[in-house]
Amino acid sequence: MTNAPTPTVAESRFAALLDAAVDAIILIDSRGRITRFNLAAERMFGYQQAEVLGKNVSVLMPEPYRSQHDGYIGRYASTGERRIIGIGREVVGQRKDGTTFPIDLSVGEFRTTGELLPAGEHGFVGIIRDLTERKAQTREAEALRQRLTHVGRIGTLGEMVSGIAHEVNQPLTAISNYANACRRMVGAGTITGPELSQTLEKISQQAERAGQVIRGLRALVRRRDEVREPLDCNRLIREVTTLVEFELRQAGFRLVLELADPLPDAVGDAVQIQQVVLNLIRNGLDAMQERATGDSIEVATAAADGFVEIRVRDHGPGLSAEASERLFEPFFTTKAQGIGLGLSICKSIMSAHRGQLTAETAPGGGAQFRMRLPMLGNP
Amino acid sequence: MSVTASNAIVPTVFVVDDEEPVGDSIAMLLRTVGLRTKVYQDARAFLQEYQPEMPGCLLLDVRMPKMSGLELQQELINRNVTLPVIFITGHGDVPMAVEAMRAGALDFIQKPFNDDELIRRVQKALEEDARERALLQRTEEIERRWADLTPREREIAQRIAEGHANKRIAADLDISARTVELHRARILQKMGVRAVAQLVRLMVVLKDSPVR
Repeated sequence: MTNAPTPTVAESRFAALLDAAVDAIILIDSRGRITRFNLAAERMFGYQQAEVLGKNVSVLMPEPYRSQHDGYIGRYASTGERRIIGIGREVVGQRKDGTTFPIDLSVGEFRTTGELLPAGEHGFVGIIRDLTERKAQTREAEALRQRLTHVGRIGTLGEMVSGIAHEVNQPLTAISNYANACRRMVGAGTITGPELSQTLEKISQQAERAGQVIRGLRALVRRRDEVREPLDCNRLIREVTTLVEFELRQAGFRLVLELADPLPDAVGDAVQIQQVVLNLIRNGLDAMQERATGDSIEVATAAADGFVEIRVRDHGPGLSAEASERLFEPFFTTKAQGIGLGLSICKSIMSAHRGQLTAETAPGGGAQFRMRLPMLGNP
Repeated sequence: MSVTASNAIVPTVFVVDDEEPVGDSIAMLLRTVGLRTKVYQDARAFLQEYQPEMPGCLLLDVRMPKMSGLELQQELINRNVTLPVIFITGHGDVPMAVEAMRAGALDFIQKPFNDDELIRRVQKALEEDARERALLQRTEEIERRWADLTPREREIAQRIAEGHANKRIAADLDISARTVELHRARILQKMGVRAVAQLVRLMVVLKDSPVR
């Protein structure tokens, strides 16, 4: 081409350019009236270009933005203060049928020089991306994560069933024996008041113990919406360890709690945090059954720079170089019968809490996991 | 020691369970029918105190940390202790119970248990122990039973008492292991004992007897 393009050729090229864009592109003049409305915008908002040309761009917004939009432009004209121009942000759009949808809007300002468009025009260009689908995907991913979290919890408990059954059976056995002994002795008139009272006290303690196990179990099995609540991490740890202590003892190991007292409250979902602690302790147990370098699993709490930290340390073989690198990847496992989701679920739980989960080799061998949760009142 | 002396006379139910409330409640229950009990929270403590001349029976939790019930049973067999053993099993411990019975346990009972059932089984075990101890005192009766064995059975009984495994005996005598097993069962039955440990003790009596 030797000649400078004539306005009509330029105009048609410009229109082609706009219509080829995947994003909606809308041009408005300095008073907010629509001057261009590309094909993608027609599809997104349900208006034909002809219907909206010359109308105030606020028709594409729901209240309260609709009434405020002229004010925004006016404020920019008088102060030059940029709230959205050149920045872009997530706002809400409104279709012709009145429905609203999330959009990502970026705005630019232009003054025409006559090369592409007639000179002297001043206005703004808005480029709009429909976020409906992305939002839906995020929501789905979130729902999936929560389901997976629940499934992971049920799976862990499933593996623990025989241990938990034993844990309940023990107090039941003691209760039944004590009760039968009392019945026989009362029948024979050989029991004294103090002995009866003492035995009833023992029965009541055993019933309380069985109740604790059931309570801990019920809380973990229940499926409920994720919540954010103040957490007394020491209490959570004491509750959940009643469920694994038997398995540990059975394997000849001890559980050692080193809980900082006082400990500030953290924020999170109690059940999910218990799930992570449970998983870490059971991983430690598995590691120690493979090869033990000591006989205890230590669970400690501490407060540090805005976080509450829970440490779970085992005396197993420790972490290999490959394991420490891939530990939190889904489907990575060092266990013969693991599917490798436990730690990746733990990690996702901790991220959703705006916390952290890290692993390291403990001084003196074994693995140490650190869970960090934001302290209550520490945004 | 006077304690040992009285232990030797009054049969005792030895209870080995790592959980204090379980052991304590079993003991209380057994005391209601006048039984003498002694409770241990781990297998080693029991092994340290127990002497073969103490009559009674052993109520043994199959699952325990450190030394399990099965390991204790094996240790008693190694020491030729013939105290009848009743295993206490929990939910889902059936395979362990089967193994225990194979190794010569008298009985097993599942937690939580019916009191009459427990007392009945314990009393049966005490009678069994008393019968076996009485038999050891009656050398002629043991000799009469020994005489009832075929020459082949006596040969195999000797080898069993020396601690040879079925396979080795089968190879040494050039017969099948299955045949050895059948002989073994017949020998135990004819001698009136439950397990190899008791057979061994009878044969010790025979060896010491002037007749043979």
